[in-house]
Amino acid sequence: MSASPPGGVAARFVGQRVPRKEDRRLLVGRGLYVDDVVLAGMLEAAFVRSPHARARIKSLDLEAARALPGVRAVYTAADFAHFGLDLFNSFAGRGSGPTVRTLADGHVRYVGDPVAIVVADNRYIAEDGAGLVMVDYEAEDPVVTIAQARDGAPVHDGYTDNVGVAAATPDDPEIAAIFASAKHVVTGTIRHQRQAHVSMETRGIVVAPHGEGELTLHLSCQSPHMAARYVSLLFDLPETSVKVLSKDVGGAFGLKIQPWREEVAAIAASLKLRRPVKWIEDRLENLTSASQAREQEITIKLALDAEGLLLAADLDYACNVGCYPHSNDCNTFAMMLFTGAYRVPKLAYRAVSYYSNTVGQAAYRGPWAMESLARETMMDVAARQIGIDPLVLRERNLMTAADQPYAMPSGMVVHGVTPCETLELALAKVDVPAFRAEQARGRAEGRYLGLGVAVYVEPTTMAMGGPFSTDSAHVRLDPSGKVSVVVSTHSQGHGTQTTMAQIAADQLGVDVADVTVLEDDSSRGGFGPGAGGSRQAVSGGGAVSHASRILADKVKAIAAHMHNANPADIRIEGGQISVAGVAEVSTTVQAIAEAAYFTLDRLPPGMEPGMEAQYRYRPPPIVFSNAAHACVCEVSAETGVVKILRWIASEDCGVMINPAIVEGQIAGGVVQGIGGVLLEEIAYDAYGNPTAVTFKDYMIPTIHDVPEIEYCHIITPSDSEGGFKGVGEGGAIIAPPTMVNAIADALAPFGARCLDLPLTPTKILELIEAGEKG
Amino acid sequence: MKAAPFDYVVPDTIEEAVQHLADAAGDVSILAGGQTLMPLLALRMATPSLIVDINRIAALSGVSRAEGAVRIGATTRQAQILADPTVAAHAPGLTKATALVGHHQTRNRGTIGGSISLAEPAAEYPATALTLGAVIEARSARGVRRIAADDFFLGPYTTALEPEELVTAVHFPEWPAGTRLIVEEVARRPGDFALVGFVCALVVEGGRISRAGVGWFGMGPTPMRSRKAEQALTGQSATGLDLAGIAALAVSETDPMEDGHASAAYRRKVAGRIFQRTVGQALAEQRAA
Repeated sequence: MSASPPGGVAARFVGQRVPRKEDRRLLVGRGLYVDDVVLAGMLEAAFVRSPHARARIKSLDLEAARALPGVRAVYTAADFAHFGLDLFNSFAGRGSGPTVRTLADGHVRYVGDPVAIVVADNRYIAEDGAGLVMVDYEAEDPVVTIAQARDGAPVHDGYTDNVGVAAATPDDPEIAAIFASAKHVVTGTIRHQRQAHVSMETRGIVVAPHGEGELTLHLSCQSPHMAARYVSLLFDLPETSVKVLSKDVGGAFGLKIQPWREEVAAIAASLKLRRPVKWIEDRLENLTSASQAREQEITIKLALDAEGLLLAADLDYACNVGCYPHSNDCNTFAMMLFTGAYRVPKLAYRAVSYYSNTVGQAAYRGPWAMESLARETMMDVAARQIGIDPLVLRERNLMTAADQPYAMPSGMVVHGVTPCETLELALAKVDVPAFRAEQARGRAEGRYLGLGVAVYVEPTTMAMGGPFSTDSAHVRLDPSGKVSVVVSTHSQGHGTQTTMAQIAADQLGVDVADVTVLEDDSSRGGFGPGAGGSRQAVSGGGAVSHASRILADKVKAIAAHMHNANPADIRIEGGQISVAGVAEVSTTVQAIAEAAYFTLDRLPPGMEPGMEAQYRYRPPPIVFSNAAHACVCEVSAETGVVKILRWIASEDCGVMINPAIVEGQIAGGVVQGIGGVLLEEIAYDAYGNPTAVTFKDYMIPTIHDVPEIEYCHIITPSDSEGGFKGVGEGGAIIAPPTMVNAIADALAPFGARCLDLPLTPTKILELIEAGEKG
Repeated sequence: MKAAPFDYVVPDTIEEAVQHLADAAGDVSILAGGQTLMPLLALRMATPSLIVDINRIAALSGVSRAEGAVRIGATTRQAQILADPTVAAHAPGLTKATALVGHHQTRNRGTIGGSISLAEPAAEYPATALTLGAVIEARSARGVRRIAADDFFLGPYTTALEPEELVTAVHFPEWPAGTRLIVEEVARRPGDFALVGFVCALVVEGGRISRAGVGWFGMGPTPMRSRKAEQALTGQSATGLDLAGIAALAVSETDPMEDGHASAAYRRKVAGRIFQRTVGQALAEQRAA
């Protein structure tokens, strides 16, 4: 089905696979990333980083580094003290969590902790200088794991333990009674390893100080506006003094949601030196010092009745948030969303986050994804334990259209989702009976095929309050008839320069080629939070749609006035304007636009001249999208190596602005999820040293490891403007349980429960052997 | 990730190159395809004072046959080796191994001399050279030296090369036509270093195995050769072999490590399975042929 935006304008571009406007410049190497920015007099920075997970800095000797020709400055925490730079979360604001200094002050608390910044004529000399900084450390025993954090010495000063945040539901005797009397109680513990965001473009900044405390920052970020606001608050500068430019960004996934220690140190160094400073994170720094994600464990207890209907869930959750997490919370959202697309009357949870001497954590595509991994893998465990087909168990418990709006036990209300329908579509595509027959034949020959399925609902948009609440669009029709849309979205690969143009083109009745989307400059347009929470299609799209419609109405009003017609009879299509029933009247959007600027006496009396409109859109607080994924894999019992044979993504993200971009978002997330299950792991040894510091050891999926994804779309428009829903994170959320369930199904003859990630060949063979020994 | 300062020379001849090596007295790295050296320089794990770039020395590249062996010049690219008809006809084991080396893109740069000189224990070329009885030709200002692969690999990234020596070629002896050749590896992703790698050559004459080469990569601090297994295979009838027993023997001659990618127990177990399956298949094909 194709959607018709309100306002009587035909949808010609929304819903189409419009080629991305960004692609040509990116594919021919004409993108503008931070490292492409070179300014006159620019210096480059490198960091001296701690080789210890936990140590006291006894002394620092900077003389040799400072004396090296080409080194312009070596700064430590003491040099930045007057800035008062204690970092904070850009959503929560100051005052939550431990003190986060820009550079280590007296103590280092993880391997990679920045101790000094060396600024030199170029990066080579900066690294030479960093190598000359002598630091005398007194090493202390680090707290590395969740288990160590539970009873280890506090990582942070002023703390009596390592608990970041603890959250729990109140004791509910009813839940205890349900578990006591339930026909089936299923339990399991699932561990998710730590991962890195590994955006293709690492973090980076070019700082250009000028004027009276003015700053231009070229920054790899998720929102120029958010970054500008953060820096202005941190450095106590007027928001108008900080301009953030960020044209092309090669991925972020949550890592770049706010500037962190290194970017801030580069800004401070630049302000002190009064010269432009560039810092480009290298891959070694990226894998060892950039914020990381996941490292969670959860014990799940499900109560089910004799028919397999879910009665209650009980969760014990812990996460290792490292030393300086962006956000001081314990992933309460993962707890609240645990019940997903199922009807579950009761939920209890206890969640704790722990600090440790490891790199701090940041949001990573679907930060709450552990709910889906925990729920969907346990649904399969429960099905096997009870003796029901996992697909049947899901069908019995999924919320139907009739159940909606459905209030989750956490209080979140889900509506407009189609879990049953997407699952049905995915299973039809798989052809389950044919697969089961093939699986049986395979097993007889020692070939282990598996089918994994997972279903979820994804909260998108996240406009529940705070910076994510709104987006703004300024739409301008120039005298030339071309359209500029300044919008507070920001792309790190999302394609918003195309999708936002599609929306504007439809509302204005012009060609998408005539619309230019500008979103790379915080000094242009209004504040907006950019990418995060799968929000841009809904919130940014709503703003663009509404602002463009205001402008279209003005075009119609002027055209009607000029041609003595009723505005309701004006039609705009392909830049041409016609009047219903009056064939001889024909003009163009361009002519009307020109008149609005140049021939003001042709405008309706009293009308404001020009062709500019703006609108700030407040989307619904949460817009749920949903999907069911299925994976068919083969596990080699000889080697434990997993081969993915098929992947089906069946989803409902409402009205798709651009199905190719929707599918790209899903594919990217699925690949990250596959990496999380099979390959990726940021591991630390007993001393807190990271053991995967290059791509040789931190393995991400390659083209050889991922299948061609088969897509099915169901379109249930949301009640947001345009009927859009978010889709950015879902692939990453649902791929892990889909993959795990497929492997577990393949290994079912061995009775394997695959509950610890990553599922390396070693672990898979151990599971098979444990099963063989019975 | 920027290299520390170094001097850089690009000689046109082998003589010039080895003179640079002699003059540098060990504080030198040789740049061939750069697939390992460049990241090591960038990470400052290698900080030589001098880099001798041998890519412009025409005499170092190319494939020829001489003295019953296929001679591969040190800077011959892996992609060239993979496509070379002489290699395919007379050293097909090398062709098989090359197909598993890295990726298309890295094979366009990577060289055999670089891989052999590096002596990565989990790489395909060192184990293939060892198993097939290759000879490494090295030059220094003092002259040419030929080192049997058996004597060449001393430890992880450690070889019998002297600091002033340059690998100029690798000679792969021609095994008889019809030799059954196995190069098999298990990697977490295609193109990665092997978790377990196996090289095997079997000559079957009149239903009996007359000669056997058995070697491993990723199974110890160096490429490993299983001499007892070779002896156990040699002279045996190609049918009715105790493959499980010989596989166990072969694996007993390895010394795998535990690392972030696999346990030592995994490597032993999978090695035995691969041996048994692939040798069994090779001998069955032999019978069919």
